[in-house]
Amino acid sequence: MQVLIVDDSQIMRKIITGVLKKLNVGKIMEAVNGQEAVDTAAKNSDIGLIMMDWNMPTMTGIDAVKKIRAAGNKVPIIMCTTEGEKEKVLEALKAGANDYLVKPFNPKDIQAKLEKFLASAKS
Amino acid sequence: MKVESINPFIESVIETFKNMVDCPVKVGKPIVTKDDDDSDDIIGVIGMTGTSKGIVAVKFPVQTALKSVGKMVGMEFKKIDPSIIDGVGELINIIAGNAKVKFEGQRISLSLPTVVRGNMYKLNNLTGAVFLTLPFTSDVGSFELLVSFKSTEEPAEKKEAAHASANS
Repeated sequence: MQVLIVDDSQIMRKIITGVLKKLNVGKIMEAVNGQEAVDTAAKNSDIGLIMMDWNMPTMTGIDAVKKIRAAGNKVPIIMCTTEGEKEKVLEALKAGANDYLVKPFNPKDIQAKLEKFLASAKS
Repeated sequence: MKVESINPFIESVIETFKNMVDCPVKVGKPIVTKDDDDSDDIIGVIGMTGTSKGIVAVKFPVQTALKSVGKMVGMEFKKIDPSIIDGVGELINIIAGNAKVKFEGQRISLSLPTVVRGNMYKLNNLTGAVFLTLPFTSDVGSFELLVSFKSTEEPAEKKEAAHASANS
């Protein structure tokens, strides 16, 4: 399965990539803003999971989620963001995100979240 | 700026370093920020607007920046490069974002982070504001959090007084 990491921070992409490699996810793609995520998701039907930041230049993560869902793509999306208020979580879930991870997180948090989705993707 | 206003920032720094850097930090007594000499510290800055507004910045000596970002990604950095700049930006982003959640009942928006090298005098000139400095110590070195922050909402008693005056 392929995982798309969407974050404008190179360091955050590296952290998430490190966790994915520990979980033996071989195919990892990266996008640096929401628009790149929308384009990449449209071109790669084998993407099985998207990790999406919220605040990014060019296009925000929440707008990207809306566009991906508007295109009929049902790929699981985990929001991975500093936006931790309840109303933001609800907004993301309403837009079509499947789960939510608030920064700061430790690698165990993100690993647990990823394992849940990777297991359901395999079943 | 009320002293209790900075508590969410202190808690946020402690949580961010514990989770993202795997490093406990200790905070010292807050002081009013002084103009610096020409240091080459790395400063991550983020703006806050809404019911409270201001600036939050984290100021790392070079060695602390190298070690903090290195621990985040499990790599060793020898010099300041785009990864360090990016990592400091992400740290201030997380610190401010996490603090924002702790201001219950307020509507606060954050700007995208900016990272600069130099001293706080330049930032003071930009904002015309006084910064409060919170010194932190840790195994990855010392660093400072600089906060300039105020509520833009009128106090309740002031609102009531204005209301009574309008109705009299």
